[in-house]
Amino acid sequence: MTDNDFVLVGIKPIKLPETINPPWWRGRPLFSAAILALIILGCIFANSIMTKDPTFMDLLNYSKAPNSEFLFGTDTLGRDIFSMIWYGGRISLFIGVVATLISTTIAVIFGSISGLAPDWLDTLMMRLTEIFLSVPTLLVVVILQAILGKANTVSISIVIGVTSWMSIAKVIRTEVRQIRNSEYVIASGCMGGGFFHILRKHLAPNFVSSIMFMVVMNIRTAIVSESTLSFMGIGLPLEIISWGSMLSLSEKALLSGSWHVILVPGVFLTVTLMCITNIGNYLRSEVNRKESNM
Amino acid sequence: METKTLVEINNLTHLFRLTKSVAIKALSDVSFSINQGEILGIVGESGSGKSTLARCLMNIHKPYKGEIFYKGINICDKKQFAANKKMLQKNRQIIFQDSNSSLNQRMSIREILAEPLEIQKLFKTAAEREEHMRYHMSFVGLEPRFLDLYPPEISGGQRQRVSIARALEMRPELLVADEPVASLDVSIQAQIINLFKHLQEEHHFTLLFIAHDLAMVEFLCDRVGVMYHGHLVELAETKELFNNPVHAYTKALLSAIPVPDPRIERGRKILEFEGVDMTVRHDFNDIGNGHFVLQDEGVTV
Repeated sequence: MTDNDFVLVGIKPIKLPETINPPWWRGRPLFSAAILALIILGCIFANSIMTKDPTFMDLLNYSKAPNSEFLFGTDTLGRDIFSMIWYGGRISLFIGVVATLISTTIAVIFGSISGLAPDWLDTLMMRLTEIFLSVPTLLVVVILQAILGKANTVSISIVIGVTSWMSIAKVIRTEVRQIRNSEYVIASGCMGGGFFHILRKHLAPNFVSSIMFMVVMNIRTAIVSESTLSFMGIGLPLEIISWGSMLSLSEKALLSGSWHVILVPGVFLTVTLMCITNIGNYLRSEVNRKESNM
Repeated sequence: METKTLVEINNLTHLFRLTKSVAIKALSDVSFSINQGEILGIVGESGSGKSTLARCLMNIHKPYKGEIFYKGINICDKKQFAANKKMLQKNRQIIFQDSNSSLNQRMSIREILAEPLEIQKLFKTAAEREEHMRYHMSFVGLEPRFLDLYPPEISGGQRQRVSIARALEMRPELLVADEPVASLDVSIQAQIINLFKHLQEEHHFTLLFIAHDLAMVEFLCDRVGVMYHGHLVELAETKELFNNPVHAYTKALLSAIPVPDPRIERGRKILEFEGVDMTVRHDFNDIGNGHFVLQDEGVTV
């Protein structure tokens, strides 16, 4: 449509000053995304990056400071930290993602059932959630881990997953309560849509934006939990390399003065967490903006 | 033509609980039947229980007392409902008053229209479904390009057409329209009412039409029921009801219709309805020609 068409029907178009679109990268966490992508790619292609076998204990070169052969030095057992970082990152990220998947799945199902349930069941489920919330997570994790026996990657993901769904479930429940009496949800039920149909088609699109931030933060929390557990010696055993189990050596390392043993995995962990937090923050502000435009 | 009964409602009572001991009676002892292929209008003031009646019919509310028979199936009975769930969900459709809230804003019109078809698995291929959706879109007077839009992007009248299309594409036997035009402006109301009349002539479905506009009901419906405070006070054929109202409330209601002739309009008197004591027992009597009136117990005509 040209300006002339408007003039023909009697509308005088006003020329608006040309607006300059801000560059597409303005306000986006590109830097964080790039670093995170670099770390993830490094972990995926760990096999081609690693200069040494990360599990091999070179007893001649233990606690070596970074040098040209051992880029990040070696730990107290003589393992090459540069290789361990990429190799162990896999485990850490795997635990973060799997634990988050588990906790989000539980939260979505539990929260939606509670949101759609009659009042008495809702109250019961929510009080149960609060009881779980009030018990220190670390304590529950330790107990569950003790029941499950010797820790491995999967068992620790499960344990972290089943102990971190409560706050997401509460948010979902509140959102579902708000929309469950919308006529489109009732209409869908009239058409014969079952619980999972309504959940997928009507409820999830409405609450996904409000839990996005929490889910991303959950990855972070899971990685931190694993590191904390390993640091305390109740997480992954030493022979399974993760950033957490690498940090668990640092206690001894500090006494012997080899700073790199704690600094390198610590920096990697912190940088990853900061990138994830940054991206999570961006998602939250983006969702808020979209919501206000609707 | 022989009339067959599609829905029969016996002594339907519904309560809304406010607290443990306090409840509101939204429907009390409503009994009537809907014939196959007719348009039955239900009128009444706000809060008279019209929507509750519609929702009970659709199994959204579980009635406190009473039975609803759909083709002989007691839909208030859990077992009988479960056994015929598929059939019931396909054959009964509802149109809500507010198309703004009855359509999910995050779904495109195409997704909205596809939803019931997908649930009931009516079509094998997506192409057949698309064809069916386009046909029904054109039937309610919408162009196919609307399929890609979202509810907030189209006007209220168009949205209501979408919800009508969503109900009609299932080829329902019973269509419950819960004030489908109340939220629209007058010119659109006329369009939608004409559309209903036209569609009903084409598809021969049974329509329960809930409204509070009397003129509309007179134009559209075969029979009209009047509701007052949860009671069905009068039910008769449209002509009979408008010419010969018996119940005091119906008389008052009909006297409120404006007449488009100023000379008559000037002399028109709006009858006052004082309200009757609804707590005493009533009978729903047939006073001939299928004209039912709610009368105090023991009164005979």
